[in-house]
Amino acid sequence: MNTLSLYMQYIVNGITLGAIYSLIALGYTMVYGILKFINFAHGDILMVGAFTGLLVYQGLAGAAEPGAWTLLAFFIAMVISMALCAVLGVFIERVAYKPLRNANRLAPLLSAIGVSFILSNGAAWIFGTTSRRFPYPFENEPIHLGGVTITPHQILVVIVSIIMMVLLAFFVNKTRMGKAMRATSLDQNTSALMGINVNRVISLTFAIGSALAAVGGMLASFDFRVYPSMGTMTGLKAFVAAVIGGIGNIQGAMIGGVLLGILEAVGAPLLHIPNGMRDTVAFAVLIIILLVKPEGILGKNEREKV
Amino acid sequence: MRKTVAILLVLLLSIAGVYAGGSSESADSDVYKIGFIGPLTGDNANYGIRCSNAARLAIDKINAAGGVGGKTLELIAEDSEGTVDKAIAGYEKLVYSDNVVAIIGPVFTSPALAVAQRAMEDEIVMISPSATHKDVTAQARNNADGKNYVFRTVPSDALQAEVASYYFYQVLGYRKLATLYAMNDYSQGLAEGLESTFTSLGGEIVSSQTCMVGDKDFRTQLSQIKSAAPEAVYIPDYTVEIAQILEQGAQLAVGPFLSSDGFSDPMVYQLAGDFTDGVVYIGPAQAEASTILTDFQAAYREAYNGDEADSFATNSYDAVNILAAAIERAGSGDRTLVRDEVAATKDFQGANGVMNFAENGDLVASQGVYHVEGTTPVYVGSFQVQNGQIVQVD
Repeated sequence: MNTLSLYMQYIVNGITLGAIYSLIALGYTMVYGILKFINFAHGDILMVGAFTGLLVYQGLAGAAEPGAWTLLAFFIAMVISMALCAVLGVFIERVAYKPLRNANRLAPLLSAIGVSFILSNGAAWIFGTTSRRFPYPFENEPIHLGGVTITPHQILVVIVSIIMMVLLAFFVNKTRMGKAMRATSLDQNTSALMGINVNRVISLTFAIGSALAAVGGMLASFDFRVYPSMGTMTGLKAFVAAVIGGIGNIQGAMIGGVLLGILEAVGAPLLHIPNGMRDTVAFAVLIIILLVKPEGILGKNEREKV
Repeated sequence: MRKTVAILLVLLLSIAGVYAGGSSESADSDVYKIGFIGPLTGDNANYGIRCSNAARLAIDKINAAGGVGGKTLELIAEDSEGTVDKAIAGYEKLVYSDNVVAIIGPVFTSPALAVAQRAMEDEIVMISPSATHKDVTAQARNNADGKNYVFRTVPSDALQAEVASYYFYQVLGYRKLATLYAMNDYSQGLAEGLESTFTSLGGEIVSSQTCMVGDKDFRTQLSQIKSAAPEAVYIPDYTVEIAQILEQGAQLAVGPFLSSDGFSDPMVYQLAGDFTDGVVYIGPAQAEASTILTDFQAAYREAYNGDEADSFATNSYDAVNILAAAIERAGSGDRTLVRDEVAATKDFQGANGVMNFAENGDLVASQGVYHVEGTTPVYVGSFQVQNGQIVQVD
């Protein structure tokens, strides 16, 4: 295997990882864009999404051989998981964040951390702490292209992620509700004066972000397995991706995620440091970006606009 | 919960007993006190509780049979909570205040490393039933007589890495290996042990990759290993990481895989059952089915409400019996005499089979080799390295 195909391989792996980070980063960034608040329970919603997806998939597909039916079952499980997580996201917002909207800025943050513990400990209580495997809904025979190996599940991850992001971009940019969302993120009070139902927009933001997290959780579980604390590190990485891209910026989250994924895969071998330190590379880049361009790659400095 | 309470109660009673007896020599003269250090509370209490249970079982049995040289044995257990601080505090109480003859434990590597150093200085025998790190028995002999006081009844990691290297080189015929290990004492110790021994045999490590415990994506490391084209990949990791590596390795056409006793947890077959076929790993040797072992297991079950003894508990049981035999031969509780007799242990018949100590206090033991067929580990036999050759001992 020559160096070129070796690096091509890293990039393929990095893009797969990055697509998942992007999906999850979107939830952080959308909520931040509107409420200026980091929803630390977001990572655990992706865990709930993964567990829901796994249970529904197992219920539907059982021990069936991989084929058209299992693939269909996978997408049905995904839709159910998205719906459930959307409801959960809205519910959490109503119960744990909304009453604190006018409180000290630290209060909802702490509340979010509390929700995160409730979700992950609850899952540990119900499901136990051992990891579970998400079976592939198709024959996962690797495809060899030159020196580069790609597996069908990697293709699935990237395609589903792209579809989700295109849908989201369409919704935010082309629909009335999306316009309301953009307006709310610019200025909540003015939007309310203009007749936008801000509470509804916020609920919708949580619903969409959580549904995307559910998809991210299910896609991540092929590689990461399903277990109660799976959201912690993945959520943290996705948060970093959102910051790299420019928190509050939707395109930024997409780009930041993919960039972080590639960086994780390529960084350590490129710098000739042990792979055990790959996370160090990713977080070092975060620090550099915060120092050089604190608003992130695509971030806008909102104060300038006023 | 009830068990914890019971153990605390026993602890309390035994401590109370000691104090009631006061420090006067006459009250203690018909008792040999043995200390135990291990986690009795906290997340990892199960290991310490089983080890101390087994030690207590051994002592009760010896006392019921008339004790040692007419005196009875008494166990004083100190809770380390698995930490160095607590283990040292417990050690100081046992050695300076309780005046124990010897110490069984500590159970975990880090406390064992700390206590081993002190045991050497204070010239008191320490026998760990479970600390596997190679450095536990590599303490400086900084005492007056320059003798070794640290022993263990569990095989050292260094031994496992040595047997692994010889087996891979001489039996499987590999010349070029890659390693992929997590950066912790266990994985790193095994991988580095293998790298040095395998290289000294004439083999080559073509790629040495690291990861962290908890990592999920190993494709970067596996791609690098693939480009180095080894004949096999040694992965001395924990179950969850092993499962990920096997699956992603299969996707990238990397393999075959060799592993360590971390592979002996059956959970790996649930997580990566499709990819375990063909793995070779070094694990615990299966002792010849002896009545000592089955008798111990049955007695343990009976004494502790059906709880099953694990392999560390078995080691702890053997440690107490070795110690009792040494005290018997020494004819006194003199710490140096007892040390000489523990070191002189020859072909001790324990629950783990025939046991001897090497000069550094390590257990002379065989290692088991397993070939996985599908999802079933098939036991090949137990092996030892003798005079630079791997030898199958049964």
